[in-house]
Amino acid sequence: MKYLIAEDEIDLQQSIVTYLQRDGNLCEVASNFNEASEKVAIYDYDVIILDINLISGSGLDILKSLKKEKKEVGVIIISANNSLTDKLEGLDLGADDYITKPFHLAELNARINAVLRRGKYGGDELIEFNEIKIDTRSRTAYIDGKAMALTKKEYDLLVFFVSNKGRVLSKEIIAEHLWGDDSDLLDNFDFIYVHINNLRKKLTTEGAKYIKTAYGSGYKFIED
Amino acid sequence: MGKKTKLIKKTSKAFLLTGFVLTVLSSIALYFYTKNLLRDQAEESLYSTEARVVNALKNDKVVFSLPPVTEIKTVKKIRPEILKDTIIYDPSQDEMEGFRELTTYEEINGQTYQITVRNLVVESGDILVAIVISYISIFVLAFLFLFFFNTTRNIKLWAPFFKNLEQMKRFSLSSNEELQLVDSDVLEFSELKDEILLLTSKVRNDYDSLKQFTEDVSHEMQTPLAIIQAKIDNIINEHTINDKQFEQVSSIQKDIQRLKHLNQRITILTKIDNNQFIRVEAVNITKLLEEKIENFKELEINYISLHSKNDLIVSMDIYLADILINNLISNAVKHNIEKQGITIKAENSTLIISNYGQKALQHPEKLFLRFYKEASSVQSTGLGLAIVKKICDLYAFRISYRFEDSLHIFEVDFSENKS
Repeated sequence: MKYLIAEDEIDLQQSIVTYLQRDGNLCEVASNFNEASEKVAIYDYDVIILDINLISGSGLDILKSLKKEKKEVGVIIISANNSLTDKLEGLDLGADDYITKPFHLAELNARINAVLRRGKYGGDELIEFNEIKIDTRSRTAYIDGKAMALTKKEYDLLVFFVSNKGRVLSKEIIAEHLWGDDSDLLDNFDFIYVHINNLRKKLTTEGAKYIKTAYGSGYKFIED
Repeated sequence: MGKKTKLIKKTSKAFLLTGFVLTVLSSIALYFYTKNLLRDQAEESLYSTEARVVNALKNDKVVFSLPPVTEIKTVKKIRPEILKDTIIYDPSQDEMEGFRELTTYEEINGQTYQITVRNLVVESGDILVAIVISYISIFVLAFLFLFFFNTTRNIKLWAPFFKNLEQMKRFSLSSNEELQLVDSDVLEFSELKDEILLLTSKVRNDYDSLKQFTEDVSHEMQTPLAIIQAKIDNIINEHTINDKQFEQVSSIQKDIQRLKHLNQRITILTKIDNNQFIRVEAVNITKLLEEKIENFKELEINYISLHSKNDLIVSMDIYLADILINNLISNAVKHNIEKQGITIKAENSTLIISNYGQKALQHPEKLFLRFYKEASSVQSTGLGLAIVKKICDLYAFRISYRFEDSLHIFEVDFSENKS
């Protein structure tokens, strides 16, 4: 996949690039408004990660011109502003998703994958990982062709794992992904074990081996 | 300072008191002065009568005794003259009367006479009373007139002051309403008005810039936080670290989340302050509560029970309603240490959320203050309830806290806003 990361904070931009490149994606960067406008006009991307507050211009203007030219591209807005109106404005203008700083790269990656899967931008609604198949439209997962009876959270967890395969996911990241802001209500993330264990059981011995413990308290979804 | 008295009342009181003291003192002075004067007059008249009697005796005229006014007797020896008050029976009036009496002894043509002349005192007493009474009534009348004149004048004079004072009482930083101060032709009042305007605009400017600063800081902090977060995510994935390092790095991520939540809450507070939530719609609080409780169940928080006989519907911004309920329930969950049941009651126009607690709060009055934490063991931003209070203030809902039967009880009264 080909991504454009339009972000004026070079450190953040490079971190995103590093994370996304691991899956063999091609990442281009734009560090200011003009560069971003130019690249968007000339090249085609699968997904653009767009900071609203770019030096010398607003990311929303780039989004507007993209939609004007009817480019087939997924757009995820990054903003330092957690305001509902900003969010609605961005989504109204045709952005596919909106993420507020600070965010986990795993979360960003999961959202990029979700945008890609919606089909419009060259993605597939079917996620496949060896014997695991996930139909994101009907929100069902199959193992060896058999449908698994997953709860909503277990399904989300599986998709999150597969989207971020090969990466270490701490319990904090998982909790944040599954429960959002409510996760700060939890004294500890112990009950994530419960969810993961349930998921492991349902994946059967065949699939369970992919969920590995990393560094004692984190998890990694990986092929052996 | 002790008891506070109203300005007009105070000046009136002082005026009345001085008037009273003046009236009493001057009346007493007048009384004695007039009394002396009258006595002098009476004595003078006694002496002059006596002189006339002596003269008449000298000229061998027949002088009749005319008791009780004049009495002439012949006596053997001369004594010093006596001037005194006396009471004598007056047959003409058929009663005892007070007289001023002068008794002199004169030797005229070889005879010694005792001449006694008397003057009725009653007469001068009546005059005295009449004078003092009329004096007092004139004085009191003049004084009362002055008093009312003065008071109305004062009220008029101070009117700009009182009006401006009322305006200042209504001054609120959160409303952008300008102070409507009245000018006055009194220099000091006019100066006071200018100073108030200057001061309030300065206070407002400072407040605004402080607000802006808070907003900017919390906004600007998000990007560095995002960088730290992203770098940590890469450290975990790009480098080989040991378990202990991973644990520490994960804990940094937790702190970043905390800062993120803090920032979000500060932003919400600023936005409420800036009146950015103007959308008002009928929000079904009961339904919202049901959804929340469902969400909490996913977090293994399944000890919340809701009692609602009828739907609680409130006119407010739905986003703020969500925050209000979320923060109240979160607060109950966080402080529900024993994991006992949380009871929510939403009926008519009140919402009551109660959770078990071992003891009452030490400083319930500080409960809704920013960054006030009663227990340091509980992880919280210290802003949740401050936001709740702010939302309630915005819509004039009344929120109260009490501790009863080992329960922390929060009650929100939405009445007058019920749709």
